[in-house]
Amino acid sequence: MQKRLAFLIVAISVFALPLAAQAQHKSPLADAPAIRKRLELRSTRLELGVGGATTIGQDFYHTAFVDVKVGFHITDWLSIAAFGGFAVANLDTGFKDSVVGSLDTTQPAQPTRAPTRDEATGSMNKIQQMLGAQLEVTPFTGKYSLFGKLFAHYDFYAFLGPGFLNYAATTASVPSCTANGTVAAPPAQPASCAVTGLKLGVNAGVGAHSFINQFLALNFELRDIIAPNNAAGRDVNGDRRVDNNDLSYGNTFVASLNLVLYFPTTADISN
Amino acid sequence: MKRTAVSLFVWCAISAWAAAGYAKRGGGGAKQPAAEAAPAQTTDDKAAADAPAAEKPAADAAPAADDKDATPAESLDDDPTKGTKVDEGETAKPVKLTTTSWQDIVVVPRKPFLKTSRFEFAPFTGLSINDNLIRHYAFGADINFFLSDVFWIGVQGQYFVKAFTDREDLIGLQYNRIPTLNRYLYGAAFNLGYVPVYGKFALINKAIIPWEIYASGGIGWTRSEVIPRNPSDLGWTNDLLTANVAVGSRFFLFDWLTVNFAFRDYIMADKFEPTDRMPGQDLAAVKSNADSKLVQNVMFYAGVGMYLPARFQYKSPR
Repeated sequence: MQKRLAFLIVAISVFALPLAAQAQHKSPLADAPAIRKRLELRSTRLELGVGGATTIGQDFYHTAFVDVKVGFHITDWLSIAAFGGFAVANLDTGFKDSVVGSLDTTQPAQPTRAPTRDEATGSMNKIQQMLGAQLEVTPFTGKYSLFGKLFAHYDFYAFLGPGFLNYAATTASVPSCTANGTVAAPPAQPASCAVTGLKLGVNAGVGAHSFINQFLALNFELRDIIAPNNAAGRDVNGDRRVDNNDLSYGNTFVASLNLVLYFPTTADISN
Repeated sequence: MKRTAVSLFVWCAISAWAAAGYAKRGGGGAKQPAAEAAPAQTTDDKAAADAPAAEKPAADAAPAADDKDATPAESLDDDPTKGTKVDEGETAKPVKLTTTSWQDIVVVPRKPFLKTSRFEFAPFTGLSINDNLIRHYAFGADINFFLSDVFWIGVQGQYFVKAFTDREDLIGLQYNRIPTLNRYLYGAAFNLGYVPVYGKFALINKAIIPWEIYASGGIGWTRSEVIPRNPSDLGWTNDLLTANVAVGSRFFLFDWLTVNFAFRDYIMADKFEPTDRMPGQDLAAVKSNADSKLVQNVMFYAGVGMYLPARFQYKSPR
């Protein structure tokens, strides 16, 4: 009986002990972060930036802005920011030149539905300022090499928040659109008006930082401010009057490039 | 007595075997921080450095190990009792458990995706972004062959579908004008590409994904079609020599799969319906009188890249 018991103990030991040892094995890197000793370039740091911005794909005017931005990074991946863009130039687009160039300078003896060049141009609106706030989420951070020689930290982020666009008419004397316009009897065309003032919209986009050092970075952003507008200041819905009912939400894409400073000027290093 | 001795011997042998197996697997607690420290320091400081030097990891490992901040390049078994669980029982003595040394720990990881001598089959879909009046959606594919990890040649083919924008709809209502427009039908190109930028990013510090930015350019052909302002008039097609330039990026997901994004600008001299076309005018006369204009069609593309062979081998030893 004792002999059988001894063999049983030996047999169990032969199989169980190695299995138990194997079960205790766990990679020393299990549950470890992807990067240790990482420069936390954003966490609890203030970001101040200044640079330039431009609209993309607008119908009538390309707007160039001086851009400023201030932000605070609550964590390495979450931040809040506010920005402002102040127009320094509104350049005619090729499309505007084509449209206006096809119009007559004065109404012909037999009036048509087409406006004159001045009428068409006067009610087109320009962006004067863009303002907004945004919540930024930075899920992607890393390093890149340029030609294998130049290395830099970078991050990608997405943001969302409220945005404002402030419009002004090309010709100041053109009246602003009202809630109810006057119906024009055919064949007369409804008088145009300009969409002016601050319009609230949604500000969303993506951005990236490329760090020059621990406190200086280039900040690129591509944003879309979706706000109500009627860029031509002319009838849109075909009701033969021009008013606020002709407003519709449209995209205003803006690309910006800022030089940003971080405070404090040195970044923490993670465990 | 003899039987008891045999049993005791077998028991000791089993215990020692299990302990050795556990220690070899790195089960010792004291050694763990040191083992983590080596890749940790260099992951941050040298991570991007493996881009150009990825195929010489053995050479890379040495200088990284020489870094003053890195763990010393000493043998792991210099002090075999340190942190290894070999002191089970009084009979256990320091034994040489492993031949691994710090030199064997590659602190600069290999480039995780190699493209040299591989084909990329990359179906894509695209969207034109620079025309106020007409939008083109593209469906097509690139077939590229990588001459090296950063240089490739390839061919591209695509089919376009058009859609008019809201602004095009409003031109007639607001300005009493009909725009002169062409649509694109097909395109093909022979392209070259180069990768100047390689990087990695950490996804919320949980996973590392490599990516690259490339520049590309080429020459090809585009077929466009005139959309007559008067629907009763006939249109015609133009075959256009087309140059293109692009910037794009690839995100490496698996050994055989990437996700690709690109902006590509097609530059061509397109021929448009003349503004003075008369109703019923002979088509040959209209074509000969067509307005030629240099145009740019900027497209944004998204797609995937599938690589053949599906696997690759590193040529240099680790």
